[in-house]
Amino acid sequence: MTVTSARRLEQSTAGDIKLFSAFTISATVWLLLATAVGLLLSFKFPYPDFASSPYLSFGRLRPIHTNGTFYGFASVALTGVAMYVAARSSGISLWGKTYAWGALWCYNIAATMGTITLDLGINNGDQEYREWVWWVALFFVGAVILSAISIIGTVANRTERDIYISNWYIIGAYSFTTILGVTAAIPFYQRGLGQVAVQGFYMHNAVGMWFTFLALGTTYYALPKLLNRPIYSYALGILGFWTNLIFYPIIGAHHFEFSPLPWWFQTLAIVFSVGMLVPVFAGTGNFLLTMRGGWERIRRSVALPFIFVGVLYYFVGSFQGTVEALRSLQTIWHLTSYTVGHSHATMYGFITFIAWGCIYGLLPKATRKQPNSLATGLHFWMASIGVTLYVLALSVGGTLQGIDWAQGDPFIASVESAAPYWVARAVGGTMMFCAHLLFAYNVYLMTFARSRESEAAPIVAGKATA
Amino acid sequence: MNRGMNNIVVLVAGPFIIYAILALFMGAIPGAVLSKTSPGPGVMPFSPQAQRGRDVYVSEGCSYCHTQQVRPLKQDLVFGRPSTAGDYAYSTPQLLGSERNGPDLSNIGSRQPSDVWQYIHLYEPRSLVSMSIMPPYRWLFQLKAHADVNDIVVPVPPGYAPKGAVVVTTQEARELVAYLKSLKQAPLTSRAKR
Repeated sequence: MTVTSARRLEQSTAGDIKLFSAFTISATVWLLLATAVGLLLSFKFPYPDFASSPYLSFGRLRPIHTNGTFYGFASVALTGVAMYVAARSSGISLWGKTYAWGALWCYNIAATMGTITLDLGINNGDQEYREWVWWVALFFVGAVILSAISIIGTVANRTERDIYISNWYIIGAYSFTTILGVTAAIPFYQRGLGQVAVQGFYMHNAVGMWFTFLALGTTYYALPKLLNRPIYSYALGILGFWTNLIFYPIIGAHHFEFSPLPWWFQTLAIVFSVGMLVPVFAGTGNFLLTMRGGWERIRRSVALPFIFVGVLYYFVGSFQGTVEALRSLQTIWHLTSYTVGHSHATMYGFITFIAWGCIYGLLPKATRKQPNSLATGLHFWMASIGVTLYVLALSVGGTLQGIDWAQGDPFIASVESAAPYWVARAVGGTMMFCAHLLFAYNVYLMTFARSRESEAAPIVAGKATA
Repeated sequence: MNRGMNNIVVLVAGPFIIYAILALFMGAIPGAVLSKTSPGPGVMPFSPQAQRGRDVYVSEGCSYCHTQQVRPLKQDLVFGRPSTAGDYAYSTPQLLGSERNGPDLSNIGSRQPSDVWQYIHLYEPRSLVSMSIMPPYRWLFQLKAHADVNDIVVPVPPGYAPKGAVVVTTQEARELVAYLKSLKQAPLTSRAKR
């Protein structure tokens, strides 16, 4: 890179930094709101009469928690990182910043209107992760399309010859989610059991084709960048990309095993759920082999421990998903709290930890404002211990529920068996929420607070493999 | 392959087309085909009142804790016969659910036909099932000093009843209970012939 182009880049990145900061701040606000709701929900298990007005009732707040964390927090946090990664790995400033700002507005309009409508009891029929009515969902699809325009424009105008593997995953995430969102939001062709089929397809792909692709794509940039060494294998990254793309869309029906959906459709989903081990081994193996021998650097880094835990939970959560899909185990675990534990292993242990790792790793480099190291350490340990307690508690409690049902005990016996584990879940949830307060403080330090190292050396932009 | 994928058009369009085909065959087509499933024998549309009650059920998110799918497994037979595709012909939005913090309701109209029980349970679940974790749905009821002639008074057990007032149903409560009472699995033909 020539000196002049480096200087031009240096000037143009001010807009990138502002966008990255704005996306992170917006995501943090939604994280606090949605997980405060989640915390309240976890305490409604031991105290069902607590906060029992309609606007604070379990049935209305549950989708506010799930959609708020999915679309208000994780989508916005990872999109902010993805835009920054696309620009840095392309060697230019983000293209089409107006589209990017438009996207941020649309994400927030969707999340705000979605939250309000759900609290008023206006929803798309209790269908997990697509409870927003179609006209709210269309704002989200609009945000995805606007993000895609900006990111694809950036990669198209790159100064580097090659398109870095991160951008395969990132661009894929926006393409797939546009198709997925339209497929799911169009209401007129879905009735009864047909809607069940679309729901299985949608709920699995929203996790697999959106969050997984975004988190893997950003990790392929942040991990080598922070370790200052190349990724272990480019080929494994490509293998993971194609196998994720082919296998993931086929496995949605495993959410409705033993339902009246066609039996072969469920079996097909189970077979490909086992096939998912290929991209999961490819991804986690690649990341862990990249980290191998770098433990001292990971230990001293603020961001790398988050990515390490994220990769471990990617493996644990995905492996768990494959095992859960087997019919023999679904007879016990299906419809119990075990599933809720699994979804937190993946959406929190994997996706959220990767988002935090990327933000702690890349945002201070961009704004030249550091987070507080004590707060970061506490954030890491409280979130890690909290989510592990959460997942373990619901795994044990859910298994007990399933065994009670299989034994033919009265239904209420399963409620009594799970009750202490629901309390343990609320304790884990409390630790997780406290960690989010510390993260919010750090986001403030990394964005709004006055810089303490304004004389520091300018950032050197380059591609991740440098 | 790598050289081709360095072309932005190929990188965007290739996976887009592949996923669009997969979405068509794994999402849209199964959705459209199964939407045409005809009603099973004896499966009837909901009455207007039950349909409005179903809207209340959806609105309040009942299906986050109550499934409406009986699996062909021994442990599910307590809830009714295994659900069939034809059971869901009139069930839009679908309410199969994913979690049983409470029991399955596919056949609750047969299993618990008493509307008085349903009203008391909705007002304060723990007055009937002490270990229940179901939220109370007080906003589906009204407190009055004296009941009017047309009011349905809910006989809330002592200790849970408000002092100096009677609990009467609102229209939403009556619609919701009408819906719950309408949830009766139609007998399968082989059994009906017997």
